[in-house]
Amino acid sequence: MTIGSELRDTARRLLSEGTVELVIGWRRGSRPTAAVPAFVTDPEEAGSLVFDGTCGTNPAVYFTRDRRQYSGRKVGVAVKGCDARAVLQLVMENQVVRDDVVLIGVACPGVLDRRRVALAACGREILELEDRGAEVMLRGAGFETVVRREDVLSDSCRGCPHPDPGSVDLLLGTPRREAASGEERERRVREFEALPPAGRWEATLREYGKCIRCYACRNVCPACYCETCFVDQNDPRWIGGTCEPTDTLIFHLIRNLHVAGRCVECGACARACPTGVDLLLLHRKVAVEVLERFREEAGMDAGARPIMASFREDERQEFIMG
Amino acid sequence: MSTAVRLDATSLDRFLRVLADAREVFAPVAATDGRVEFARVRGGEGVDSSRMLTGLSPKGLFFPEAEVLFRYDRGGILPVESPGGPIAVWGMRGCDARGLALLDRVFGSAFQKPGDERFEDPYWKSRYDRATIFGTVCPAPLSTCFCNWFGGSPSSTAGIDVQATDLGEAWLLSPVTAKGAELLMTVDDLLSPATARDVEASREIALRAQSALPPPPSLEGLEDLLTGVFHEPAWEGIAAPCVQCGACTFSCPTCHCFDIQDEDRNGRGRRIRAWDSCMFGIFTREASGHNPRALSTQRVRQRVMHKYSYFPGNYGEMLCTGCGRCVSVCPVGFDIRNVLLELVSGAEGEGR
Amino acid sequence: MSAWTPRILAILCNWCSYAGADLAGVSRMQYPPSIRVVRVPCSGRVDPLFILKSLQSGFDGVLVSGCHPGDCHYISGNYVARRRFAVLKPLLDFVGIEPERVQFSWISAGEGERFAKVVAKVTDDVRRLGPAERLVKRT
Repeated sequence: MTIGSELRDTARRLLSEGTVELVIGWRRGSRPTAAVPAFVTDPEEAGSLVFDGTCGTNPAVYFTRDRRQYSGRKVGVAVKGCDARAVLQLVMENQVVRDDVVLIGVACPGVLDRRRVALAACGREILELEDRGAEVMLRGAGFETVVRREDVLSDSCRGCPHPDPGSVDLLLGTPRREAASGEERERRVREFEALPPAGRWEATLREYGKCIRCYACRNVCPACYCETCFVDQNDPRWIGGTCEPTDTLIFHLIRNLHVAGRCVECGACARACPTGVDLLLLHRKVAVEVLERFREEAGMDAGARPIMASFREDERQEFIMG
Repeated sequence: MSTAVRLDATSLDRFLRVLADAREVFAPVAATDGRVEFARVRGGEGVDSSRMLTGLSPKGLFFPEAEVLFRYDRGGILPVESPGGPIAVWGMRGCDARGLALLDRVFGSAFQKPGDERFEDPYWKSRYDRATIFGTVCPAPLSTCFCNWFGGSPSSTAGIDVQATDLGEAWLLSPVTAKGAELLMTVDDLLSPATARDVEASREIALRAQSALPPPPSLEGLEDLLTGVFHEPAWEGIAAPCVQCGACTFSCPTCHCFDIQDEDRNGRGRRIRAWDSCMFGIFTREASGHNPRALSTQRVRQRVMHKYSYFPGNYGEMLCTGCGRCVSVCPVGFDIRNVLLELVSGAEGEGR
Repeated sequence: MSAWTPRILAILCNWCSYAGADLAGVSRMQYPPSIRVVRVPCSGRVDPLFILKSLQSGFDGVLVSGCHPGDCHYISGNYVARRRFAVLKPLLDFVGIEPERVQFSWISAGEGERFAKVVAKVTDDVRRLGPAERLVKRT
C-alpha cells in the first residue's frame, strides 16, 4: 500500500460519505518532475490523486486565494508536514475554520528539486520520473539514470524540522523521516554568514538579480494573502515595479519580514521561481532567528498567538542601544 | 535567395567576435546553475547553442523588462538617447523568431495603418529593425513543444534572417532575407560554400525534428469556438490551480502587456515602461477601485481568449507560437494545450 | 568628501522618544544636526518598510526610538516592535547591509540628555561608514 493509493482510497471515501465536498491534493501533470494541484469533487475522480516527491506545491495556498472561495465549504486537503503547519497557521490567523477542514496528513519523504533533477540528467529532457524512495529513476530519449534522493532533494527538505504532519485528522503512510538536526537546518545559513559582509552583499545582488518580479513566490505562499500587497500599492508607492536591484531586494526583504514567524519553510516559493532564485536562504535565516530568540515556530499550535504579535517581557534586546 | 554557406564549428567563436566588433551581439549563454538565457556576448565563450529553449524568451532584447521612455525635470522632457548601431542575435529558435515577428505587428504600424509612422512604437522599432536574426533549426522538440499547432515548425523561417543548422562539425548558414545575406557577406572569409551533402544533412535534421512532433489536433475555427464557450462553467475547474503570478506571461515570446510607471523625486524623474501581466489581480483594477476581472477564473479565461480568439480576430494569427515555456515554467503545471483540447472537445460534445 | 555629513532619519514615538527629543531642545542641549524626525504614535507603528525605503531614498542611517519596555503608552506596542526589530536587524546584516546604519533605542520623555547622546553616537557610527550606497536608488 503506497501513500498514493491510501490517499486515493481516503479521498474516495470522504467524498462518497459526504464528509467533504472537495479534496485538494496532487495529480500527474504534463511534467514528470512536478505533480500539479488537483481539485477532486467526484469520488470517481479520486483515482487521479498521487503522492510522491514531486508533490512540491503547498495546497494551503488555496484557502487564501480569490476571496477565500472555499470558506464555508467542507474541504479535505492532503498535507505534508510543512503544509499542515501552514494550514494551522491560517487557522491561528482566522483565515480558515479548523472544523471546515479535514487534514489528510501524508508522511513525506522529502520533495525533489526540479532544477537539481534536471542537472542530474545533464540538461536532457526528462520524460519519466519514478520516485523509489532512497533513489529516483530518470528516463528520457536515449538515457536512463538512477540518482540518490539526497542529491536531488529540495533545500527546504534537507533541513526539514518537522517532516511528519502534526495535528492532522488522518495520517497516511508510516512516519519514518527523522527531523533534521538543528545543525543541518542551519548549515547553509551559517555558511553564508561566514562570508565577509561585502561578499554577502555581492552574493545577494547576484542571486536576486535573477528575479523577474513575476511574484510566483508570493502567490504560491499560503502566508501571503493581503488584499493589496505592499508592492501593488500606488499611494504611497513604496517600491518601483521593475527589476531595479534595490527595488527587487527590498521586495524580497520585506516579504521575508512580513512572513516572519509565519513561514513554514516549505520551499514552495523557491520551487515556483522560474529563474531559480535561492529564496529559501533568507526565509530560513529568519525562521532560525525567530526560533533562537523567541523559541517558537510557525504553525505548531493553532490556538497560540501569532509569533510576531506576541512577546515575553524578558527577551534579549542586545541590539537595542543600552 | 543566395546560396547556403558553411561555418566550421571551431570557428564559431571567431565568427561571433567579428560580428561583435561591429555590432551588439546576443546569444544564449549558460549560467552555473544550469539556466541558459540570452545575454550580450563578445565572442563564443559561454555560448550554449544546443539548449533547446532559453528560460525566458528573447523578447526582452527588443521589448525590455523595464525601459526608460524619457526623463524629465522641472524644465521639461529630456529624451533618452538610445545607442544606434546594428544588432545580431545568434541561436534563436523558430518559435521565438515567429514570436518577435508577431510582436512587430503589434508595435509596428502594419496593422492599424500601414505606412503611417505615427502608430509605430519607436522604442521597439528602433531596436528590432536594426537586428539581424540567426535562427537555429531545432534538432529534437521537447515534450512541451507545440509549434506545429499554429503553423510553426522546427525549421520555420518566419522572423529569421539567416537560418542555422548544427551539422556537428560545422554550421550550415542559409540566408533567408537580403539583410541576412548582407551580413554573411561581411564575414565571408570565415565561411565556405556549403556542399550538397551539407544541405542534404540539414534537410534530414529538419525532417526528423518535424516528424518527432506529435501531429497537431484539429483547431479549425478555434477563434469562434472559444467565443461560444465563454460562459461555460468549465472555466472554474480550468482556472482552479492558477495562483495568478506572471511566470507564464513573462516567459512567453508573444505576451506584450505593459505598464507605464513614473518614478519621481521632487519634480525630477523618469517614465518607465515595464512588463505587466493580465494574470495579476490588479491588472484591470480601475481608479474607482472596481475590478471587472476580480476573480482568477475571469483572468485565466481572458488570457486564453486574448491569445486564441481576440488577437486572431484583429490580426488574423494566434498570439502563440507553441514554444511551451508556459507549460514548463508554471508553478502549478497549468498546460494550455490541455485547456484548449478540453474546450474544443467540450464544445464539440455539445454539438456547437 | 569633508562636505558630506550623515543624513539620518529618526523615527520617534510620540509619547516617550519625541518628548525626550523635545526636552533636549528646550534644555539647549547640543547634538549633531544630522537627523530628520518623523513622529509616530508608537514604535509599534514602525513597519520595516519605512526603514528600508529610507535607505533607498538616500538616508545614510535610520534611528528608531520608543518607550522603555513596560512604559509604552499603548501598553505593549514597543514589545511587538522589539520583536520586529529583533528579526530585521540580523536579516539586514545577513545580506551585507552595514548593521550600524539601522539602530534602535529606548528613550523616555525625561531623557533629554540621553537623546542627545544617542543621536551623537548614531551620527558618529554612520559618519565612519560613509554615505550609504547599498540600497540607494538613483533615478
